[in-house]
Amino acid sequence: MNNIRKQRLFNVFLIIFLSSLGVFFILKALNSNLDYFYTPSEALIANIPQDKRIKIGGMVKKDSVDRNGTKVIFKITDFENTIEVHYEGVIPDLFKEGSGVVAYGKIHDKTLIAENIFAKHDENYMPPNIEISSG
Amino acid sequence: MIAEVSHFFLVTASGLFLLSFIFSTLTYKTNHNIEILVSRVFSYGSYFVFVSFLIYIWLSIQSDFSIRYIAEHSNKDLAVFYKISSIWSAHEGSMFLWIVFLSLWSQFFNFKLPQADLLKAPSIGILSFIIFGFLIFLLFTSNPYDSLLPIAPANGADINPILQDPALAIHPPFLYLGYVGFVIAFAYNTAFLIKGDLDINWEKIIRPWSLIAWILLTIGITLGSWWAYYELGWGGYWFWDPVENVALMPWMAGTALIHSLYVSSRSNSLRSWTILLSISVFSLSLFGAFIVRSGIIDSVHAFANDPQRGLYLLLFSGILIISSLAFYALRFPKLVSSNLIKPKSKESFLSINNILFVTAIFAVMLGVLYPLIFDFIYEERISVGPPYYNTIIAPIAFLSSIFLVFSVGSSWQRSSKLFFIYSPLSLSILLSIFVACFIAFKLQNFEWWFIGGNFSGFLILIRYLLLVINNISKKMYFNKASAIAHAGLGILLISISINAGLSYEKIINIKAGDSFQDDMYTFNLLDFELINEDNFDSIKAKFLIKSNDASEQVFYMFPEKRKYFIRGQITSESAIQITPFKDIYITLGDQLDNGHWVVNIQYNYFIRWIWISAIIMCLGSLMAIKERSIKK
Repeated sequence: MNNIRKQRLFNVFLIIFLSSLGVFFILKALNSNLDYFYTPSEALIANIPQDKRIKIGGMVKKDSVDRNGTKVIFKITDFENTIEVHYEGVIPDLFKEGSGVVAYGKIHDKTLIAENIFAKHDENYMPPNIEISSG
Repeated sequence: MIAEVSHFFLVTASGLFLLSFIFSTLTYKTNHNIEILVSRVFSYGSYFVFVSFLIYIWLSIQSDFSIRYIAEHSNKDLAVFYKISSIWSAHEGSMFLWIVFLSLWSQFFNFKLPQADLLKAPSIGILSFIIFGFLIFLLFTSNPYDSLLPIAPANGADINPILQDPALAIHPPFLYLGYVGFVIAFAYNTAFLIKGDLDINWEKIIRPWSLIAWILLTIGITLGSWWAYYELGWGGYWFWDPVENVALMPWMAGTALIHSLYVSSRSNSLRSWTILLSISVFSLSLFGAFIVRSGIIDSVHAFANDPQRGLYLLLFSGILIISSLAFYALRFPKLVSSNLIKPKSKESFLSINNILFVTAIFAVMLGVLYPLIFDFIYEERISVGPPYYNTIIAPIAFLSSIFLVFSVGSSWQRSSKLFFIYSPLSLSILLSIFVACFIAFKLQNFEWWFIGGNFSGFLILIRYLLLVINNISKKMYFNKASAIAHAGLGILLISISINAGLSYEKIINIKAGDSFQDDMYTFNLLDFELINEDNFDSIKAKFLIKSNDASEQVFYMFPEKRKYFIRGQITSESAIQITPFKDIYITLGDQLDNGHWVVNIQYNYFIRWIWISAIIMCLGSLMAIKERSIKK
């Protein structure tokens, strides 16, 4: 092989090497930042590591909201099972008993210690999977 | 009756665009008369679309609730401004606006481009086909004229109160103008590929159009970010929501395009790459339209779910993109230039940044689509969290800043000697390392992204400062537009890092008459005021805030909670006190049983500078358009 060919071969391998490195890092970042979404029933069966952040979606159970100072405790239900959520902070304007909610945080002792609460900007919102798991 | 006229005009327009497209295919043997006809028919089509939209605005102002769309999204009590903006508050009307901009923008191009231009007829033909396709989509799957007759409601259902806002009313128009603006580059370059005549200097034609589109897209994204900040009450400016991401992808591709265009017009390399980018930008805009309007991805922005719409958009975009790429593949062997890019030349650094941008686009697209793929394969629902995007985009931004700075002093088509001891490059690297370390120690933040963001931001600022000082003192020419736009980028990187590193919030529990003190301010909650407005009731808190330092600055802030009558929706209106380097941001939470209120206080550092830097980048790009037209 002459020098130009060697150089080209080297370039090709360099490009392949660099792009696989790039893809590797992207996939690694992707894998460690996936947030799984569960309904309360799924969350109770699933084996969720304590340090893993997850999302739990469902409806805010009627008469379950308890406030104490800046802390809020409420239950998310999918009409079969419920899961308790602890949260400290300002809850969204659309948070209401009996309407859809998604809580984001870590599971500890079958309780979700939430870092974020999302309520949908749509009054007719139903969290995904609820229709399936309740029907 | 007036509605039927407007509807009829729109149908006529789609007929005219179809005609213009058919005529354009007949110009294969370059018949001059037919070419003029293509342009004429196209003009008429655009005017019909425009007049039809004007009538639709009139119907909206008149509150014609016999039209389903207006009845569902407007209301008699709205101010005229919001009656108009309610048109683009949901799917049908915003699609209509999209098409209006698409046809007007194309008509402007049609008007500006001299008739003698070899690619005029084919590019207008492609534009006709695109507009025709979208008009068919509008008329058959999302008709804004659907009637409620014979029973028209007395009043409309109102638009979502959080959308009744000046920034949000003008955010979609700018965004759409940016999206559709890149259609010119797409159509002209596809026409170039179809013709296959390599001597045509397409760079010169599409550069100003792409720059303007980039500016409009930047303004659109910035307005959206600004709105989200003050209206949603979260105090954030970017959430990595899927719909933000689909706006970011064409923006990044557009940024790559205007730089790659610069290279190919200066050094005649990267031509085929530039064409591929111009196809990609518009394809990514179409992809965005598909994601938002098919409802396949769960997002706060998503419109109602309708598989039929998604399928049509997917098919139509697929036809456009695949046929354009097929011509690209066909012409590719002739397009590839034989001159290799010299290492350490200006174009080599710009090429590296192009690759980095494409990597970023790929990463963002993967983040948007991964939940779909995952659901399909594992039947589990996931979402991709913001940390993913931050860990990918931040290093790419830092790397491309470094290559940007390398490119500043380098020359075209030959290797440059950059690293001698007293070179401006070495000096700016040393200085910015010093500044970044100083800031890190001063603020006690040693996160990699914090140091990296400050380093790359100051690197850009210092390098351009040295360039400006050097060239002014030697009375040499330098690209002022580029210096200004990139200074904006430097400020953006610093502002984002400082904002992420320093901002914090606290949640307090307070009742009227009480006060709360932190290390900077004392917050006194004086009292509450009840306000009755035309379309909402509101409770407004009055805070008196004193700074604890020697200045003893005193000001009032009024966070508010509103309840809108028609939908019963509750919204929080945060109070924001703007100071040069930070915002104080107060959101009223809920009232507890014992009469106390939950209140969120945020300190958001450098947030204004994020938007200011976007404006600076736009100014630079605006100058770039002028600079080119003077030089040629």
